[in-house]
Amino acid sequence: MKKIADFILKIGEMDRRWIFIIIALVVLLPLFFPIGLPIRPTDSTQTAYDAMDDLEHGSKVLMSFEYGPSTKPEIHPMTYAVLRHLFKNKHKVYITCLWPDGQFMAEEAIEEIAEQEFNLTYGKDYVLLGFRPGNEAVVKGIVSNIRKLYSTDARGTLTDKIPMMEGINKLADFDFIFTASAGYPGTVEWVQYGADPTGVPMSTGVTSIQVNEVMPYVQSGQVKGILAGMPGAAEYEKLVGIPGIGTSGMDAQSVAHVVIVLFIIFGNVAFFIERQRQKKY
Amino acid sequence: MILKRHIPILIVTVIGLLTLFGWFIEQPTIQAFVDDDATQWYDILASFAIILGAMNLLKMQGRKVIKQQEGWGYSLFAIGGFIFSILAGFVIKGSESVAWGTHVTSKGTLFKWMFEFMFTPLSATMFALLAFFVASASYRAFRIRNFEATLLLVAGIIIMLGRVPIGSYISSWFVMYILVLLIGIAVNVKFGNKMITFSSVLTGLLIVTVAGMLTGWPIDQPGIFYLPIIQEWIYYNPNVAGARAIMIGIGLGIFATSIRYILGIEKSYIGE
Repeated sequence: MKKIADFILKIGEMDRRWIFIIIALVVLLPLFFPIGLPIRPTDSTQTAYDAMDDLEHGSKVLMSFEYGPSTKPEIHPMTYAVLRHLFKNKHKVYITCLWPDGQFMAEEAIEEIAEQEFNLTYGKDYVLLGFRPGNEAVVKGIVSNIRKLYSTDARGTLTDKIPMMEGINKLADFDFIFTASAGYPGTVEWVQYGADPTGVPMSTGVTSIQVNEVMPYVQSGQVKGILAGMPGAAEYEKLVGIPGIGTSGMDAQSVAHVVIVLFIIFGNVAFFIERQRQKKY
Repeated sequence: MILKRHIPILIVTVIGLLTLFGWFIEQPTIQAFVDDDATQWYDILASFAIILGAMNLLKMQGRKVIKQQEGWGYSLFAIGGFIFSILAGFVIKGSESVAWGTHVTSKGTLFKWMFEFMFTPLSATMFALLAFFVASASYRAFRIRNFEATLLLVAGIIIMLGRVPIGSYISSWFVMYILVLLIGIAVNVKFGNKMITFSSVLTGLLIVTVAGMLTGWPIDQPGIFYLPIIQEWIYYNPNVAGARAIMIGIGLGIFATSIRYILGIEKSYIGE
């Protein structure tokens, strides 16, 4: 018994570089050798999917990109899955960005999904309006007069000359809003200044850490469902029926979570043994 | 005094009142101001703030380099990066076929190259390092020291396992067995009697085993012991309750501060 306790204590004093190596391995190995764990969509993801699936074909959907390279692994798979879903149902997609790096993310997503996968026409099926500085002021600007805020799109074309901008003057002209958000400005600002005052239904995809902040709006029905972090992306991919980066990342995240939990348990056992010995002597 | 104190306070009071009334008064001019003009003003002021920010960055980092203070090498990199971004944004396009303005996100330009091959990998690396620090910190600091810490730890473990697919593989019966053992520990701590502890653990194990055999050991039943269901409950109930309390608190705080600004009580913006 003493030997086991000594061994656990020794593990308890493990150099943190060993922890780093273990974490690196448990993240990398499942990426190279996928386990293929089954994914079960949660209610919140299902609600978001249903809200977008119930839209009439050809609906006008405003999609806003509020994330950058640091949160790309979590949010990018969501935007891919949502874009696939929207384009599959022949919706018109209008893209705005409250973050400057969001425009780069949007460019990448539309190039891969709209251009390469669906072979759609710019200006007819989708448009990238791009980034405007001003945080929530941009949302308010879109609510009152989108044409005043976006006189040109991200490619320098006058919005008056873009066919799919016909009949679009303010936020209320859209049928749905989807925000892919990693912080401020993001989902909360869209709810407070955009969706709520205009009554346009909205849904969102956020990083895991942001879920707490957005969940009250989801529970009250102000936001129709939520894609929560990478698991949310994987669940949406499952619902759309096209597995992507989110699905492949879930094996790595699953194993990493289990290993971190084991670390916590080991650390606590070592803590208790140490405390008992201190009491004894 | 009038220029430096009274006029700024008057401007803040008038604009603050106008913006506030815009939400409650059906007056097209005031509403247009709140919805449109005020936001445009904000954009213009924010643009000037960027210039101020850039100047401040240069001043602070430049001072560090000139005085060769500790870590001045990093400051040199910061200044170099800043100058490179300015050049890529305003001077060198890198591609003649792309128009100024759109060059920021267009393929083949220097700015896009900088974003793809410098900013993206650096940014992703910084964020990815968090996983290692979280693992190390949770190993060393996540300790059952008191009731609150235990609650936090148990909730954390449930969320971590329940959110990922592997959590749906953990049978609710396994969770129940763990629970029986934990109850055994609690009983032992309370009574300190081996017989009572043994009999309570044995009874618990028997109850769980018999119930499992009778129901056929369904992995997700009873639902209250199934990790994905427990984590959803935690998200929707205690979490939302806490988040709402924080939001209401912040809202009241913003309201109080706004009123202080409008009434001229809060004057930190003029250095008082």
